[in-house]
Amino acid sequence: MNWDLFPQFLATGLLTGGIYSLIALGLVLIYKSSRVFNFAQGHLLMVGAFTTWWFSENLGWNVWLAFAVAIGVSALIGLLVERVALRPLIGQPILATVMMTLALAQTLQGAAIIVFGAYQRSLPALFPIQPLVLGDVRLKLNLALAFALAMLGFVVFVFFFRFTRAGLAMRAAAEDHQLAQSVGLSVPRIFGMAWAIASVVATMCGVLLANISGVELNLSIIALKAFPAVLFGGLESVPGAIVGGLTVGVIESLVGGLPQDPALRALHLGDIAPYIFMLIVLWFRPDGLFGLKRIERI
Amino acid sequence: MALRLAGDFDTSYAHDMAIIRNRGQWGMTIAFLIGLFALPFFADGHVIGTLNLIGISIIAVIGLNILLGYTGQISLGQAAFMAVGAYSAAVLVKAGVSFWLALPISGLVAGLVGLLFGLPSLRIKGFYLAMATLSAQMIIPWFFRNVRTDIFGGMPGLTMQPPRLGEIVFNSQATMYFPIMLTVVVCVIAAKNIARTRLGRALIAIRDNDLAAEVLGIAQFSHKLRAFFLSALYAGLAGALWAMYARTINPDQFSLLNSVWYLGMVIVGGMGSALGPILGAAFVRVLEEVTVQLAPVLSKLFPQLEAGLLAALGPITFGIALMLFLVFEPRGLAHRWELIKAAWRLRPFAH
Amino acid sequence: MKKIVVLIVLVMMAIIALTACAPAPTPTPVPPTPAPKPTDAPKPTTAPATTAPQPTAAPKPTDVPKPALRTKANPGEKITLYHFGDVTGPLAAITTPLVSGFNDGAKYWNGKGGIRGAEIVVEWADTASKVELAIAAYNRFREKKPLIMQMYGSGETEALKDRLAEDKIPVLTAGVSSKGSYPPGYVFAVVPIYTDQFGLFLDWLVPNWDKVKPAKGQALDSPKIAVVTWDSAYGRDALTAETRAYAEKKGVKIVGQELFTPGAPDVTTQILAAKKAGANVIYTNSLAHGPAQILKDAVSLGVRDEFMIAGSNWSLDLSMLALAGAASEGYYGVFPNLWWDDTTHPGVKIIQGEFTTNQRKPAERSVGYLLSFTFVDAMKQYIEKTIDRVGFEGLTGAAVYETIQATPELKPMEGIQSFDFGKDKRAPSKARIVQVQKGKFIYLTDWMTAPDLKPK
Repeated sequence: MNWDLFPQFLATGLLTGGIYSLIALGLVLIYKSSRVFNFAQGHLLMVGAFTTWWFSENLGWNVWLAFAVAIGVSALIGLLVERVALRPLIGQPILATVMMTLALAQTLQGAAIIVFGAYQRSLPALFPIQPLVLGDVRLKLNLALAFALAMLGFVVFVFFFRFTRAGLAMRAAAEDHQLAQSVGLSVPRIFGMAWAIASVVATMCGVLLANISGVELNLSIIALKAFPAVLFGGLESVPGAIVGGLTVGVIESLVGGLPQDPALRALHLGDIAPYIFMLIVLWFRPDGLFGLKRIERI
Repeated sequence: MALRLAGDFDTSYAHDMAIIRNRGQWGMTIAFLIGLFALPFFADGHVIGTLNLIGISIIAVIGLNILLGYTGQISLGQAAFMAVGAYSAAVLVKAGVSFWLALPISGLVAGLVGLLFGLPSLRIKGFYLAMATLSAQMIIPWFFRNVRTDIFGGMPGLTMQPPRLGEIVFNSQATMYFPIMLTVVVCVIAAKNIARTRLGRALIAIRDNDLAAEVLGIAQFSHKLRAFFLSALYAGLAGALWAMYARTINPDQFSLLNSVWYLGMVIVGGMGSALGPILGAAFVRVLEEVTVQLAPVLSKLFPQLEAGLLAALGPITFGIALMLFLVFEPRGLAHRWELIKAAWRLRPFAH
Repeated sequence: MKKIVVLIVLVMMAIIALTACAPAPTPTPVPPTPAPKPTDAPKPTTAPATTAPQPTAAPKPTDVPKPALRTKANPGEKITLYHFGDVTGPLAAITTPLVSGFNDGAKYWNGKGGIRGAEIVVEWADTASKVELAIAAYNRFREKKPLIMQMYGSGETEALKDRLAEDKIPVLTAGVSSKGSYPPGYVFAVVPIYTDQFGLFLDWLVPNWDKVKPAKGQALDSPKIAVVTWDSAYGRDALTAETRAYAEKKGVKIVGQELFTPGAPDVTTQILAAKKAGANVIYTNSLAHGPAQILKDAVSLGVRDEFMIAGSNWSLDLSMLALAGAASEGYYGVFPNLWWDDTTHPGVKIIQGEFTTNQRKPAERSVGYLLSFTFVDAMKQYIEKTIDRVGFEGLTGAAVYETIQATPELKPMEGIQSFDFGKDKRAPSKARIVQVQKGKFIYLTDWMTAPDLKPK
């Protein structure tokens, strides 16, 4: 076992986990407000990254400006998606909405190819490629800064939900749609807002990822890693999304890095470990770590 | 509502239970079956190939429908259970077992694996159960990729010799059509009847309200496990047929996305009906096939355009068609079919 | 006639609109592109009339013994070439230029009189990397009795291999896994299979170690290789029992295999584990994002000068350069074909000319476009050789297969690639070692022959 590298792998895992938690946050936001599990989150992420690339490369804007504009655009995309695709399904079986997000993913994939082209592109570097050495631990500076930005994003969202009117309205709607309606909140508008925010979060995440690994269609695949993350945390909990994401990142990195035996390493255990861990967690805590336990009445 | 044909009365218990109720229906059923099995003699290989794929999907989707539509348990692992069936069949055939024997065995093996991953359903429900099955979806292909690569072939997978029956080698689309469609017919009839037995009704009760069902004396856990077993059994059969269809199987063919699309086919077809899986699988597969063929046609019209741009119209058309479908038909095709049937039977009085 | 002109104008307007919408990433100015078009477009359409008779007039009359083979196409006769690959799925970025190159290649040769006067028609299909769609596309094409097909994915090739043999349809494939190419069937790989490439890399590495070893790093007395690669059939195809044995014979230590998921944002764990295991060379069998991520992460860990980093042929492409940027400097690879930079080479010149004429986008100037343009020529030459042997009447997939097998050497596009298939040989074995220097591929060696490391 590579125990001497333990702090290294732990730190790397945490940083990667930060990215996973940001994706998980988008999933949680939508699920919490509208009970829709969004299979298109990865594709929103990919589109967000491509939009930023488009503004910076095609129009020659500064990356950060392009990033800011792309965030605005993605909010619009989120609103549009909710209005066109999801709102007609209010009141229909929940699973129809799952299907809708799948159809949405296909459409976004095709649209991205038409608008941006299928090619790999590189984003002008937001952060330089260089090491960040902390004692024995060597980290990627760009990943560390991406992690910091992701955590900053989380803090902003926590404040948003705690202290702003819109944030409070969203929490109220998440609690009970009918109650929220009866106190004068427009639930469809809140759904729209949830999608807009989720789309913004996806774009943030997409750009941070693209800064590390480049802009490409396959960025959408990384959303798969967020599925176990939301489960650890519980589908309805924002802090859960952070904890879940970090846990998945750490497990992946530790299990992937620590074993030294080549035969064991060839199994690519890091890839599967989060899911095995997930099974174990589900056995002991069926509602995830932070999920809400619903009491049922007959 | 189940509207009966005029003049069709239940004169005996047997008749009360019958699915096919009168001579007209018998005639139509027989004509349909003859047509179904006579088709390869007229249609070309591509049409038959598409039908074969639809047939395999139908079997997997029927299985999922038992779990999702009747029992109300979401599974994201149907493709993984198909993988179990496909690998069992390929390994057995390699070991010298006849494919025709390997087919039911691989169904059973998949069923048992399904049982294993159904165990968490004791405590978990809803989306969390979906995630337990998601881990099945991840762990099973990982297993075939990495464990005992001498048996399972590792990453490149296994190649299965085409099955034989006497002189006939089942290696063309037209020959494969018969075992596939025969299995489909058997599976459809079995599923229809499972839904009407005590087991099926118990499953529906669990779906509608699991606590109430428990109070009524339906052992929830064992019934859920049975549903998992049946669902995976169907997936295993579909997997074994897929191994025959694809010849070479590898873990990548059974991805999460496949599982999710099976889920989609159940939803498009209509949950909890016998007809739903058939319509759903056919609809999605045909739509896929049509949209994929769109791009090459367009590229002949606009040869200057980059092929990728035109090909991208495929997924877009596919996605938008599905979206429109969901907006106008969120309860699935089977529901619409019931409405049409009812309207026809009530004609000319619409209400 | 008027209608046609109107149609052409409309099509061009649509194209201009689309190219304006779609991104044009490099600094190439857009305005000049619409201008040359009206003058360039008529050229290929008028050319066939004048050039067509030339090739047909030349070769055949000497061939007397056989009873008058028809080696010239009847008017209006067409030969269809089929190809299919993933244009909208995970490999879209790689395959799209392949499709464009193939179409442009067919257009170019039609301008030169087609195949013995027969017009080349191209049919293609998108598979989105789904085996079911690949099988469906194959079923569709199979009905039309293809002479030869082109495929791009390893998985698709492997799944269809047995069927191709049964239906007697030869295939050139860019997915050159060892399982797809061997045991010999109707599948012909267009570059050396990955195991052979790894062997060739070892052949070169051992005598040159002192020259190319990393500046610092551990135990530099001999190369110690870690294969850091994708966890996919393609990624894992470099390190097999055969290549392990070969490395041992060469005195090279393989310290381990580190796997990562395609698209993973972080491979530092794999790199550090490789370092821990004692590696001073990293070899990868991945493409585009894969090698780019390894290179960038090695730089951002500050360990770039402790490793020599190399990879197989598909890793050497525009996408890798674009994604890795400055980090790509010094990357080694096995290179079995020529490159766009060989501007004096006649074949590359032709392709570059067509690339400009057809106004392809800079992002398509990849290995895919170059090679699939070349594949069309290879197919054309194989079919022409078959026609010479059996005439148009005897033209079948099986006959073309016989020709491919019996042609000891074929150099399509004046030698951009070189194919030497034989009775039991299903992949070429010539390649050179290149290194990335200032964003360009620089040849370090002359053509070398890869060892035969196909699976037993």
